[in-house]
Amino acid sequence: MNSLLSGDITSVAEFLAHALELEVESAERYNELADNMEVHNNPGVAELFRLLAEYGRRHAGAVRQQASTYELPAIPPWDFKWNCPEGPESPCAEDTNYLMNKCDALQVALHNEQRGRDFYAEVARSSPSSDVQRIAAEMAEEEGGHVEMLKEWIAREACDFQPAVDDLDPPNMPE
Amino acid sequence: MPVSALKARDYKSGIKPVWCPGCGHFAVLSALTKALAYLELPKEAVGLVSGIGCSSRLPSYVDSYGFHGVHGRALAVATGLKAARPDLTVLVTGGDGDGFSIGGNHFLHACRRNMDITYIVMDNRVYGMTKGQASPTTAPDWSRSKMTPHGTGVRRFQPAAMALAAGATFIARAFSGNPSEMTRMLVEAIRHPGFSLLHCLSPCLTFRPDQRDWKEKAHGITEEPTSDPLEAARLINADDGLGLGIVYAEQMPVWQPRTDASRSVEALEEELRV
Repeated sequence: MNSLLSGDITSVAEFLAHALELEVESAERYNELADNMEVHNNPGVAELFRLLAEYGRRHAGAVRQQASTYELPAIPPWDFKWNCPEGPESPCAEDTNYLMNKCDALQVALHNEQRGRDFYAEVARSSPSSDVQRIAAEMAEEEGGHVEMLKEWIAREACDFQPAVDDLDPPNMPE
Repeated sequence: MPVSALKARDYKSGIKPVWCPGCGHFAVLSALTKALAYLELPKEAVGLVSGIGCSSRLPSYVDSYGFHGVHGRALAVATGLKAARPDLTVLVTGGDGDGFSIGGNHFLHACRRNMDITYIVMDNRVYGMTKGQASPTTAPDWSRSKMTPHGTGVRRFQPAAMALAAGATFIARAFSGNPSEMTRMLVEAIRHPGFSLLHCLSPCLTFRPDQRDWKEKAHGITEEPTSDPLEAARLINADDGLGLGIVYAEQMPVWQPRTDASRSVEALEEELRV
C-alpha cells in the first residue's frame, strides 16, 4: 500500500490541524455531492450523502472541541502532510455519476473511511511525539469503527456492485 | 466577519452547481475558493468574469462580484473592468472553446497587453454544453462526435505556446485531479503582477470518458519556473500536453490605462516617450 503520509507530524497542534481539515473537507465534499445528486434528480443517493456529511460535521465538531485549547498552525491547502490530492476522507468527484445508486455511494464512503483510518494509523506509527501517537491511534480506532459500520450497512443493502444500468436516454449521445 | 476569518466555504454563493457528477470543474471551484481564502481577499475586492459554456457558470457559484458575459468575450469584459477598477482582483474563467476559439483573438491581445488579470481556462477538450463537439484543443483524430466522424484532422491549439508568443508573463498548467496543487498555482497566478494564464485540465467525464486516464498520465514538470522566454519555449515545445506546474513567470511592466481626467503636458510627454 502506498503511504498516505508525506512527512512526520510532530506536535499535537499540527496533528489536530490536519484532523480538523480532514473532517471539515470530508463533510463539505459530501454536502456538495448531495447537492449535485439533488440537481440530477437522484434523491436516494443525495439523502445518503447528506447523512454522511452530517457524520463528518459531527466529527469535525468533536475535533474542534479537542483542539480548543491549542493554537492550531495555519497550514496552506497544499502543505498538508498527506499524499493525496485532498484530505484522505474526501470523496473524489470523478468517483460519482448521476446513475450511481445507494450501494455505489456506500462504496465511495467505505473507501474514504478506510483511507482516513489508514492515515491516522500511519501517523500513530510514525510520529516522534507520544502524545500525537496516542491521539492518532484513538482516531484510527474510531475510523475503524466507521469502516465496520459501513461494511455492515453494505451487507444490509445486499449490494452486489453490478455495473450501472444503461440509460436509454443518455445525456452524452454525441451529436 | 473579518477577512482573515473567511473560510473557503464562505466564498461559495450557495447556488448549487448544475455540472454533471464527476465533472472536473468542481475541483476548480474548490481550489479557487481556497485560494481566495488563503489570500484573504475581501469578497467585494474580487471581480469574476466569464464567457459561455459549462465552466463559464463558475461566477454564479462564487460569492463575489461576477459577470457571466458573452461567448468568447470574457477577456474583453475583464479588460474593461480592470481598466475602470484597477483596485479589483480581476479573475476570468472559461473553457477551451470560449477562450481559444470564439475568443481566440481576445486571448492573444490580453496576453500582449499584460494587464493584471488572471485567466483560468478549464480545458476539457470538448464543447460539453452543446453535447460534445470537438474544440480547438481536441486531438485531430477524436471521432466521437457525429460532426467530426473522422476527427477534425486539424492540429490542436497550443495555449501555452500561444500565450508565450503573445506576451503573457505567467504560464502554468494544473489538473483538477490534484486540487491542492491547483490551489497553490492559483495563489501564485493571482499574486503575479500581469497577465497570468492558468491552464486547468478539467475532465468532462460525460462526453470524454477517456479523460479518466489523465489521473495516471498527468505528471509534474521537473524544471523550476523560468523567466527566460527561450527556456520557456523549449519546455513548452517538449511538453506532452499533460505536464503540470508553473512553466514561466517573468516580471514585466503591467499595462494599466490611467483614468485621471486631466494631466500635465510633461506627464503626457513622459507617457508617450519611446
